Amino acid sequence: MIAALRMRSDQLRDMRSDLARPHAHAWERVGFIAAAATAAGKGVLLLARGYMPVADEDYLRDTGVGAAIGSNAFRNALQWAYRDKSTLLHVHAHHGSGRPGFSGVDLRSGSEFAPSFFTTVPRMPHGMVVLSDDCAYGLLWLAEDRPPVPIEDFSQTGIHYRRDWNRP
Amino acid sequence: MSWLDRQSFLGEDSERQLRDLTIAIVGLGGGGSHVAQQSAHVGIGGFVLIDDDRIDDTNLNRLVGATAADVERGERKVDIAERLIRGINPGARIIKAASLWQDAVDAVRSCDIVFGCVDNVRGKDQLEALCRRLMVPYIDQGMDVHSIGDGFMVAGQVVLSMPGAPCLRCLGVVTDEALDEEGRNYGAAGGKPQVVWPNGVLSSVAIGLMMQLVTRWHDQSEVGKCLEYDGNANTVQPSDRMRLLRGRPCPHRPVDDVGDPSFDIRRFLANATQQAPAPATGATQANPLAARWWVRLIRKMRQLV
Repeated sequence: MIAALRMRSDQLRDMRSDLARPHAHAWERVGFIAAAATAAGKGVLLLARGYMPVADEDYLRDTGVGAAIGSNAFRNALQWAYRDKSTLLHVHAHHGSGRPGFSGVDLRSGSEFAPSFFTTVPRMPHGMVVLSDDCAYGLLWLAEDRPPVPIEDFSQTGIHYRRDWNRP
Repeated sequence: MSWLDRQSFLGEDSERQLRDLTIAIVGLGGGGSHVAQQSAHVGIGGFVLIDDDRIDDTNLNRLVGATAADVERGERKVDIAERLIRGINPGARIIKAASLWQDAVDAVRSCDIVFGCVDNVRGKDQLEALCRRLMVPYIDQGMDVHSIGDGFMVAGQVVLSMPGAPCLRCLGVVTDEALDEEGRNYGAAGGKPQVVWPNGVLSSVAIGLMMQLVTRWHDQSEVGKCLEYDGNANTVQPSDRMRLLRGRPCPHRPVDDVGDPSFDIRRFLANATQQAPAPATGATQANPLAARWWVRLIRKMRQLV
């Protein structure tokens, strides 16, 4: 099962810029990607429609994690995904180069919130993505009650077409 | 020493980038055969070759790689293109579809770039629509011979159609009038005049656009391109219409009209289950979360402390 994610380079640039902005009290920023989908071979190809930042006021004060966001942020993202019946992908960034990985906290929280997205848009897969400075990795839940599959194939299209999520 | 050493100026990692790409070539006649040949020469690794036709003797004036023996045997155009590519790069990944491209959409969906080398306006329109939905670059080329006064005018164009950039309708390559006329003449159009050298010029321009798209040997800033060929004056020039339209949103192909509107993951999984062979006894599905055994171990240890 191959899961792939494609995004326009201008959207990728804007998303990276947003995630790199400092926040008053959170250590890092998070956001959401809404995506359409199509079958491609034996896999699923996700096609990003856009990126939604999380508003400054929706970050909770929690020193135990890099960024904790409140229910309002999830509600806004789900309403956005519901409108076009989109896949919803939670996204955040780690520093460094090469393929990034999710932390234990990421995996624990992701396996709670990502399956819950199916309640709002049951016809689409949902998941989470983590960026490094030049690469990306993700997990995609195809159903609420199944383990996720990796998203390992990333491409971007713009002035250049690239099979990576390096900076455009 | 690599067979691509002489093009190392394209970037130190360009050989791998080109090898990893898969392109679809829809139509393997006068235009598509040039594209297949040049793509193989520059090191493209994957090909989806689509054409439902077989060669006949009227193709020999322009179909690169074809021989008189192919005509005698009535070879399929996809087989001629495969032979041409393998002669240059025996390791190329090739999927052939000797069918209408509409019956090979699954194969096109897995491609990085699509070349439209079809000689009908409706096909161009539909292929571009598919590519916009897949957010992949679509490179369209076409040539015509027009009767003017006592002579003829050889002309053509190559369009790099990208998400958000002007489309073939914006650029006047696809028009309602042309679609209507094609519909009226369906099945009775006969063979249009076609010759090898304009196809060669247009295909070379198309390959150049692809190489600018996937490698970085110089700076550029434009998304989407249109180049017009005047075969009488022997010139290729950027389209004025593209220049005027640049920066304006395309009204025909909204940028967020992507994906398959009818996609349903539940149906996808049901189909996949029906098609998949039964797993062997004891087989388990890989679980990326389960792979993090050390996370669970640390959690367990924390609970014990």
